[in-house]
Amino acid sequence: MSSSSSSSPSTTSVDRPKHLSLRFNRLSKRIIGPVLMLGPSGLWLLLLLVLPTLLIAEISLVPGLRPGEPQVGYGLGNYFRIFNPLDDAFNPVYVQVLWRSLFYATGTTLACLVMGFPAAYWLALMAPKRWRNLLLVVFVLPLWTSSLLRAFAWMSILRPTGLLNTFIGLLESVIQLVLPGVTLPTQGWLYTGTAVLIGLTYSFLPYMVLILYAALEKLDTNLLEASADLGATPQQTFWKVTVPQTLPGIAAASLLVFITSMGDFAVPTLLGGASSMTISRLIYQQFLGITRNWGLGSALSVILILAVSLAIALLLKYGDRNSVSET
Amino acid sequence: MPRKRVLYPNRQFPRPFSPNRRRFLQGTAAAMAGVALSNCRGNLANVQSSEPSSADGNAGGSASTDRLHIYTWANYTDDEMTSRFTEQTGIEVVVDIFESNEAMQAKLTAGGGDIYSIIYPSDYVVQEMVDLGLLAELDLSRISGLDNLLANWQDPLYDPGHAHSIPFSWGTSGLLYNKTVLTTPPTDWDYLWENQAELSRRITLLDDVRETLGAVLKSLGYSYNSEDPAEIEAAYNRLNELKPAIASFTTSGYEDALLGGDLLVVMAYSSDAAVVIEEDPNLEYIVPESGTSVWTDTVAIPTTAPNVDAAYQWLNFILEPEATAKSVENLFFATPNATAIDLLPDELKSNDDIFPPKEVVEKCEGIAPVEESAEELYDRYWTQITGA
Repeated sequence: MSSSSSSSPSTTSVDRPKHLSLRFNRLSKRIIGPVLMLGPSGLWLLLLLVLPTLLIAEISLVPGLRPGEPQVGYGLGNYFRIFNPLDDAFNPVYVQVLWRSLFYATGTTLACLVMGFPAAYWLALMAPKRWRNLLLVVFVLPLWTSSLLRAFAWMSILRPTGLLNTFIGLLESVIQLVLPGVTLPTQGWLYTGTAVLIGLTYSFLPYMVLILYAALEKLDTNLLEASADLGATPQQTFWKVTVPQTLPGIAAASLLVFITSMGDFAVPTLLGGASSMTISRLIYQQFLGITRNWGLGSALSVILILAVSLAIALLLKYGDRNSVSET
Repeated sequence: MPRKRVLYPNRQFPRPFSPNRRRFLQGTAAAMAGVALSNCRGNLANVQSSEPSSADGNAGGSASTDRLHIYTWANYTDDEMTSRFTEQTGIEVVVDIFESNEAMQAKLTAGGGDIYSIIYPSDYVVQEMVDLGLLAELDLSRISGLDNLLANWQDPLYDPGHAHSIPFSWGTSGLLYNKTVLTTPPTDWDYLWENQAELSRRITLLDDVRETLGAVLKSLGYSYNSEDPAEIEAAYNRLNELKPAIASFTTSGYEDALLGGDLLVVMAYSSDAAVVIEEDPNLEYIVPESGTSVWTDTVAIPTTAPNVDAAYQWLNFILEPEATAKSVENLFFATPNATAIDLLPDELKSNDDIFPPKEVVEKCEGIAPVEESAEELYDRYWTQITGA
């Protein structure tokens, strides 16, 4: 009873602020909602990605900063050391290491593309449909183990007395039963660039196949039929219909493989030897290795970050975002 | 053109699972892209932790008086050693391992190192850490047993008067090889250059500029601590000649490859060599005839150390002859404690790999800090050797 009597004045009092609450609702939709939803991840990114990156950029401007020593002032000394041939401290070896990293990343991307495209094509268009999911899982299976473990596995395959050479030896002895005197060449790839390329390609092939599969699965097979109906040869159909249709997927997969292999540390460290220094190893050396120079290490990190950012910008512009970044 | 008419193969039998599967795939691909990108981010995060911060921060809050955190090399402690200390003092010991002086120093300067009361820096970084104010000056009146040390460590060059450190272990660097595989055993550093073709990519050298370039300097008849640019350049050129035959520069992790015959000669520290030889007697360690380096690993107290009393108890503990002798029997490090050496079984005492004879030690040099311009030169050549 008492509640009903008290309710009537309250409705009139609510009437006036209704506009206010409406405005508040609109405000909350425009500002508070997004802030609440983006806040945690935004804060996370800001604190753990943006700020550290800015700190690296700052340290990279302190020439010759060694751990524990006072900061002497800002300058471009670290970058001059890497790029400016007129600088006293210039050493061409840094650019050489950068080129080598680029070479490994490009080589890995091409190898993954050449091997991954047929596999993805077969999976998406030719493999028995009921097996597809299983086959995809099989392709992803290597990713369930640590990349370190996989690099060690390649070490035991490639080392001079390893699996591969043992297999070549067995093959040779079988052949010699029929053709005496025939010898097979053995490989000595461990601790060379070849081993690094093999290891990187192996590591990133699953990413390539998965993304290409997603792109190829969306391929409109009616167009292939139409192309064939109109008299195109299979090669023509492939180059003029299949490839252009999947180009965004190819770009996305290639850039992703390029980016990750450019910064990979474990594979070049374990499989590469004395002559395959990459930028990630060089950065490690500047921070925790023998030639400690945090300023130079930060400058190299900034260069790596810029190179990767450029690749990501290209990915956003030309890649099929649906197959990588969405969801 | 005789072709089956399949104009609408997909429309006739709709694929009910297709969109779901595609979403699953996109999800998987995105998740993996996330993993990959977070790896890059992990690298960045590592870099971030290197932000310079003052070393003399507040002491770690978690350390209580009945717990001692020590930061040391692998193989310098074992459960027996730490439990004996706990029995004697009632203080629990927590051991963390570092793999290089540089990593240890980075942790101390960048933060996160202030829980440690005891650290084990090598001789050549002791001076540097003292200059940076990282090591506390020792109160020698609280330490007993220093008289037991061998003459060479009574007043060491790297730390005169034990002002900041107590020597714990010493050794040489030399060549470790498999005597069943190498028919002519190496006797000197020159062996590597003379047999470069047969040893191609079956050699590893230490991942350490002063050790490796120093060994080349020694092979040329110069000093490990040369500051002469011409000598250092000559050493660089000579190492460059050998470079195609070098599998990698590494300080550890060569054991399996050496035991399996994939590596033929390895430059190693004597303490590590002694442990591997214990596993396979076919391996042999030599100190090259033209001489090598003598190194010392020390024990010190960082300026940020909590629980300093416990740290002094640890220093006294590792100087006790009986306790040290027992640890050496288990861990095969070379103690500079003469009284402890006397307590060892003859077999260990006469082990030339662990305790090289006097005439061998006399040919060797300790690695000392060099002037800054020379240090820059060493770093520059090292970057060129490892980067090119």
